[in-house]
Amino acid sequence: MDAQETGSVLPDLRAVATDMPIVAPMNEMFDGAGHPRPECSRVASYLLTMEARRLFELGERAHQMFQQMGVTFNHYGDAEGTERIFPFDPVPRIIPAVVWETIEAGLVQRVRALNAFLADIYGEGAILHEGIVPRDLIIGSPQFRHAAAGIKPRDNLFVIVAGIDLVRDADGRFLVLEDNLRTPSGVSYVLQNRVIMRRLFPELLRAQQVRCVENYPADLLAVLKETAPRDTRDPVVAVLTPGPYNSAFFEHVFLAQQMGIELVEGRDLVCSGHQLFMKTIYGLRRIDVLYRRVDDDYLDPVTFRPDSLLGVAGLTAAIRAGNVAVANAIGTGVADDKAVFAYTPAMIRFYLGEEPLLPIVETHLLRDPDECAMVLRDLDRYVIKPTGASGGYGVVIGPKASAEELAQLRARIMRDPAAYIAQPVVQLSVHPTLTRSSGEPPRLEPRHVDLRPFVLMGQKPRVLAGGLTRVALREGSLIVNSSQGGGSKDTWVLENGCSAG
Amino acid sequence: MLRRIAQQLFWAARYLERAQWRARLVDVNYNLLLEVPPRDADPWEALLAITGEAESFGAHHSRADERSVVNFYTLDRANPSSIRCCIETARGNLSSMRHQVPTEVWLEINRLYLDAMSWPADALALISIPGFFTTLRERFYAIGGVIQATMPRDLAFDFIETGTMLECADNVARLLDVKYHYLLPRLEDVGGADDNRQWATLLRSASSLEAFRQVYGNAMQADRVVELLLFNGDVPRTARFCADRIASALARIAGRYPESEGPDVEPGRLTTLLCGSSAAAVIHDGLHEYLLDFERECAALSNRVAAAYMVID
Repeated sequence: MDAQETGSVLPDLRAVATDMPIVAPMNEMFDGAGHPRPECSRVASYLLTMEARRLFELGERAHQMFQQMGVTFNHYGDAEGTERIFPFDPVPRIIPAVVWETIEAGLVQRVRALNAFLADIYGEGAILHEGIVPRDLIIGSPQFRHAAAGIKPRDNLFVIVAGIDLVRDADGRFLVLEDNLRTPSGVSYVLQNRVIMRRLFPELLRAQQVRCVENYPADLLAVLKETAPRDTRDPVVAVLTPGPYNSAFFEHVFLAQQMGIELVEGRDLVCSGHQLFMKTIYGLRRIDVLYRRVDDDYLDPVTFRPDSLLGVAGLTAAIRAGNVAVANAIGTGVADDKAVFAYTPAMIRFYLGEEPLLPIVETHLLRDPDECAMVLRDLDRYVIKPTGASGGYGVVIGPKASAEELAQLRARIMRDPAAYIAQPVVQLSVHPTLTRSSGEPPRLEPRHVDLRPFVLMGQKPRVLAGGLTRVALREGSLIVNSSQGGGSKDTWVLENGCSAG
Repeated sequence: MLRRIAQQLFWAARYLERAQWRARLVDVNYNLLLEVPPRDADPWEALLAITGEAESFGAHHSRADERSVVNFYTLDRANPSSIRCCIETARGNLSSMRHQVPTEVWLEINRLYLDAMSWPADALALISIPGFFTTLRERFYAIGGVIQATMPRDLAFDFIETGTMLECADNVARLLDVKYHYLLPRLEDVGGADDNRQWATLLRSASSLEAFRQVYGNAMQADRVVELLLFNGDVPRTARFCADRIASALARIAGRYPESEGPDVEPGRLTTLLCGSSAAAVIHDGLHEYLLDFERECAALSNRVAAAYMVID
């Protein structure tokens, strides 16, 4: 299944980082001289005057609260106790208002361009005619859905919900690492983390004037209703989940609960007369919008994988007939393809006539012979990612690979260069994080972080203030994957004028 | 409401009620044995008969003694009807539809589940068996209380009520049946001290001993106990009380149908069985047959409800 959903909320940070720093990473709380940055001064002094033991206890309390609330994710290949808690670090990450303003504008700009791109390639294909994006790259992408050609979502919004992964480099610049435009997950942790933080640090939260996040479900429902293909006064919206065994199942339940709508599985649905219905105790009830957390491939056994039980037969035809909308639309995956990623700045210029506000991590397409030759010369300085895979599969980090691994990689690249991209190693920023190695007293140590903000696109864009900060809890580790010691932090975007604590 | 959700709510409620009845039965039997050891009728065997699980117990155990039966009913991960497994199943059902019940209900049930997962494998490792059951009973009351206190009287509530009351009615019938059929095989013992003590125990299992004394005073008589547990509609955990609530829940479910024509399940014979009879009559005609009939009706009604509102084709 789609790594955006099953591979968790967790990107492959290892793909962009190394624990052999070339330059020192940026510390988000303290400057080079060890002084707290202005926006962090209040939190820093609060934490520094608090005994580590006390902070540790708060961390433990947070863990218990997550367990009591049943905020868990399912972990595959784990015989006993498949429910796990996504580890939570009680030290918040602070983003001052002025920094956030730029990020927010950059995110909106980016998702606008990506939507224009999707409308274009499933429509007239101007960007392909112009030769700005190679046609074969799009048509040949495993994520390109011929079934989506000619389907026009309302307002041309293919992507209603986007999760854009950002990293911060040694200079403190936010860079886009990748886009998640299919079924991005993790937003429930953002909301739950804040619930926990309110209980742990009420006075600190109040003093800092942190922008609230709890409007997200209402905003999500609003944009979902706006995508309804027919004019009904109150469109019926449902969340489609693959079911309790999906790793993000808690989030599906949570969002349905918060939006006050039904959570359906494929077996609850039926298509009839090109309309979508759910099976209720009083008979069939029509659905106008499906917020689906099931990947394209499994959505409709008539159009896609015939063996899928997770979707409903005839859905694509119902969408095409204009009787139901799914969000995100079918076929958005082509726009978050790793090779297509390299063209996103060009898309922003082409569709919006603007310069990108958020730079992307430099990306080399090895299908280009010059780029390929350049990368092969210094293979050990790049991160190499296969374009066709997601979830970190097949990623090789040059500086950490053995000579033998590099030789094998070189052979694979030369055999099929178009199947790979290369990115330079980015030195991810670090953030003070509570460590709990056994036998030692708890301490605050710098740990690598990234950020996944969430963007909602409706008649107007809405960006969740902050997003999910993921942290690699193990020393030196750059892997924030929860199965390998990754966790999350609450992200505090400060209100205007409150940046100087 | 989705048919799948209706089904999951109904069964979550049944499993919780079943767990609660298991706890009552084991607790009361355990306490009974603290004072006077059984003469010949083994209460642990009787317990297995009540729940209809002598066979599945026998598959894993050679002897029904206190330890093996308490473990079987309470902690056994291999017994799907053990208290631990019932709680796990109910919580599993509920966790996939948390959005249908108030958060407080979920938190309370999840709390019990987390406890149940940390219970030992052997009852002898419990600090105190009576203390364990006292706490457990309080937890079940807390869950029932939070359901009553927080749930809107909507479809979710009605399906929970239907499931709870059907499971409860079935358990009352089984409880009575065992006492009548298995516990006291010898006619000359009827009315004796042991007999009375067993009836009192049975009433205590249903938390109805105090209600019985309020209605009938101290004179323990078989037909009065039968009358109370089957036909008194005022006392919780009697067959009549449950049947009345099932009938109103089903009527509310049908009444919410947006159009006039819709599925409509009526308790039918379950009500007829309880309304047209008296304790004297059913005892005269054969209580065991009557109770078997009643249990069959409970199962049949459960199937009718499932066919009308739950089965997904």
